[in-house]
Amino acid sequence: MKPSRLSCEETFLRLDDYLDRRLDETERTEVELHLATCEVCAREYQFESRVIAEVKSKLGRVDVPAGLAERVAKRLAGA
Amino acid sequence: MTPADRSTFDRLFAEVLSPAYGLALSLSKNATEAEDLVQEAALAAFKGFGTFQPGTNFKAWFYRILTHCHYYRYRRTKSRGEAVPLDEDLDLYLYRRTAEAGFHSQSEDPAAVLLDKLTSEQIRSAVASLPPEFQVAVALFFLEEASYEEIAEVLEIPLGTVRSRLHRGRKLLQKALWQVAQEYGLVGEGVAT
Repeated sequence: MKPSRLSCEETFLRLDDYLDRRLDETERTEVELHLATCEVCAREYQFESRVIAEVKSKLGRVDVPAGLAERVAKRLAGA
Repeated sequence: MTPADRSTFDRLFAEVLSPAYGLALSLSKNATEAEDLVQEAALAAFKGFGTFQPGTNFKAWFYRILTHCHYYRYRRTKSRGEAVPLDEDLDLYLYRRTAEAGFHSQSEDPAAVLLDKLTSEQIRSAVASLPPEFQVAVALFFLEEASYEEIAEVLEIPLGTVRSRLHRGRKLLQKALWQVAQEYGLVGEGVAT
């Protein structure tokens, strides 16, 4: 199917699905065509994308408290 | 439980302990509460291990139990998570707030400027402040980079519900992040600090 031109509003409605890579190829191309030609929407997309990337990076992996595995094992032993 | 089952449980649990603690930490007020949640979930999983189907996804199964334990505690305490009006306009919440606060004229990457001000603990507290129906989906998305399908498996909800919870949950998180930044005096009403 040939991609159609999207308005800013139509693009915005697809932005979360685009960020989550949930659009099919035609829809993805339509969003990308709009983002390539609309500076305002491109800025919004870039911002949303950066928020997701930054939060993912900041949350990352955490250190398990020392002795937690042993404390769990002890609790299970009493079950 | 037979010694063989016990050995299997111990091995599977050891593999998920670290990510499960990370998830619990994003659902809890503090590290003590997170550890209690992991212990509670471990005990429930241990007692119910007979219902686990060997060869299926133990992590998803354990996360489901941990999530149920979390929901149970939440219902018991009802201490956190405010109801959010469904019609509240949260579109581009941080984009608009950061623009109003002058971040966009200061940097090409205003999102990073804001999030650089927040510590991991502050971001976790923002996730933990979300209403419970959004918390787990959002935590799995950001912590585990979980797919819609993986989140659906843990929460036992359809993909369409995962999509709506994630989209709404991310908007709520943006509002919570801004509130945390304000609480800690990292941003002002109209000026980036």
